[in-house]
Amino acid sequence: MRPGAAACWAALLWLALALPPLRDALEGSMRMHMLVQMPLLAATGFIAVRALAATRRARVLQLSGGSVPLVLAAMLAASYWMLPRALDAALADPAAAVAKFITLPVLVGAPLALAWPRLGTVGRGFVWTNLASMLAVTGWLYVAAPVRVCNAYLASDQYEAGMWMVWLAVAILFGWLVGLFVGAAAPQSATPESTAVTSSAARDRHRLVRAP
Amino acid sequence: MATSSYTPMLDRGARGEVLAAIAVAVVTLLLMMVFGLLMRMEQAQVIALGPTWFYQLMTLHGAGMVGVAGLAGAAVMWHFLSQYVTLSMRIFVANLVLFLIGVVMVLVSVLGGQFQGGWTFLFPLPTHAMGIWRNGAAALFMGGLLVLGVGFVLLHLDVARALIVRYGSFARAMGWPQLFGHDDGNAPPPTVVAATMVTIVNLLGLVSGATILVMMIVNAYLPGFAIDALLAKNMIYFFGHVFINATIYMAVIAVYEVLPRYTQRPWKANKVFLAAWTASTAFVLFIYPHHLLMDFVMPKWMLIMGQVVGYLTTFPVLIVTAYGGLMIVYRSGIRWDVASTLLYVALFGWAAGAIPAFIDGTITVNYVMHNTLWVPGHFHTYLLLGMVTMVFGFMYYITRSGPAGGDCALDRLAAGIFVLSALAFTLSFLYSGKASIARRYAEHLPEWVPYNRVSAVFAAIVVAAVAVFVVRFLARLPIATRDITRPTLPRGVQA
Repeated sequence: MRPGAAACWAALLWLALALPPLRDALEGSMRMHMLVQMPLLAATGFIAVRALAATRRARVLQLSGGSVPLVLAAMLAASYWMLPRALDAALADPAAAVAKFITLPVLVGAPLALAWPRLGTVGRGFVWTNLASMLAVTGWLYVAAPVRVCNAYLASDQYEAGMWMVWLAVAILFGWLVGLFVGAAAPQSATPESTAVTSSAARDRHRLVRAP
Repeated sequence: MATSSYTPMLDRGARGEVLAAIAVAVVTLLLMMVFGLLMRMEQAQVIALGPTWFYQLMTLHGAGMVGVAGLAGAAVMWHFLSQYVTLSMRIFVANLVLFLIGVVMVLVSVLGGQFQGGWTFLFPLPTHAMGIWRNGAAALFMGGLLVLGVGFVLLHLDVARALIVRYGSFARAMGWPQLFGHDDGNAPPPTVVAATMVTIVNLLGLVSGATILVMMIVNAYLPGFAIDALLAKNMIYFFGHVFINATIYMAVIAVYEVLPRYTQRPWKANKVFLAAWTASTAFVLFIYPHHLLMDFVMPKWMLIMGQVVGYLTTFPVLIVTAYGGLMIVYRSGIRWDVASTLLYVALFGWAAGAIPAFIDGTITVNYVMHNTLWVPGHFHTYLLLGMVTMVFGFMYYITRSGPAGGDCALDRLAAGIFVLSALAFTLSFLYSGKASIARRYAEHLPEWVPYNRVSAVFAAIVVAAVAVFVVRFLARLPIATRDITRPTLPRGVQA
């Protein structure tokens, strides 16, 4: 997809999410609010930034201090919007609603889009494992809370949202692992060498050689 | 069918950081062994520590041993795996630093805060201490384990990264193209297969462990956020069993790498080998319910699964490794030194240690055996004569000064004494279990004391032998960094 088209799709998605019918539908239940509307808002920021030219993304990344501060910023902003009080405010206070529609794309989706390519397998793995673990804990908090934590939602809604979070955490972990099994990148070297000791550090070491 | 040959070349010396990790692990191991000895002496009524100190030592002994097994296993894996893939030394060091921070937190929580809830921190015990320790001590202990776990997550993510870069996917690193297709003889080496398996299972286990630890820390301060005790136990044992199982799968890499150097025969990653490791990857994830066979509220199907998978998981990797070990040594002309002897004995310890677990994993047996010393008998055989012995074998291998050796009479004597006393020590546990002596009790009935005294004597001898291993290892550390041919090669083979 061309960068311009991607940016248009991101803007359209953002506008659609802001329209009253879709907004009402998604904010009507806690699970849709937290697990559909908010991730989609973050996705608009992610898509919009990915539509930028690579040089411009690199410049912004450099000005931001690298990938780690951006990921931390995204995690912090995302954590705020998981708080029950923030959910209530987003429903009752128009200013908080506007803040949600701005901060989720700008402070969650955009930083992740900038940082993601630079994170590498270790960084991404840490994000996924941390997300799965924290999502499971947050889900449990909503399930186990002895009181209704949101004025806007019923306790049953809260329980349902919590269970969805737990299952989503399991799905994220499973999906990430399946991704590693399938593998996106081609191996570094041709497979016929794979049995031999081929790393540069090991060329002069003990070597196991198998002949066909 | 692919044929294999072996080209003798120099053995790679260990990096200083790897040696530092091994040194930290074995010095801590020795300290934990002393704690274990004190516990046995308390039960033997030779000393009088009192129950508070006993349970503090028991907690430290358990957490410490699991930690050092993980650290030493990771160091062995890192040393050999780095010959096939490019690993990050910074992350290895980060794991070591986080390990040390975690150990300090655990030590402070136990020795300063008197936490004595056992290394398995089973809910709700850590936060229901009846005034013996405070919530802060429990939170510090669990926080320490969390820090330790983060270090291992980082380490395994780096291993995952390196495997993906080199092989493209976990599937290729596990040798699936050769397993499910034509075996073209290009399957990854055993070290890579084992490291992939460990990475998969440990990442899942550690995420589960981190999740329940955070939940329990929250619950410690906000008890209104209740935890389902059965769910907590499942998550803890999933994490705990996977982690401790993975330590031996990391340490066995030393067997796969070192014995072929001694025998000049390759350890083949053939279809049977690959199938065994793939099967064990799945089984290790589903076996943990065998720890919960006495929990009558567990779903019945899970208990049956625990027993069946417990039977199945005992065999694949163990059989291919033990059989492979026998075949690689048979008529090879191997010259036995301390390193090769310990690595070979470790295969026996692993195999022998699995049998009591196999028996205890049977539901009807479990009802009467699980809370006896039979179970410590199993895991001491498996870990002391298996996993830890592999690490000792690696220590002697890496500190050899050349094919001519460097083992002195003291080394050989210590190795012989260690094997015999460790065997007697573990058998004393098993025999105590057979006599229905309860485990995790600070005070024992008078009828149980003779068993404990015998056990304490052998434990003391084990500690003395291990002290020799540790001192000799530390004294010969500079040799360990050299790239030299270490094994004593079979007759007729030029080094």
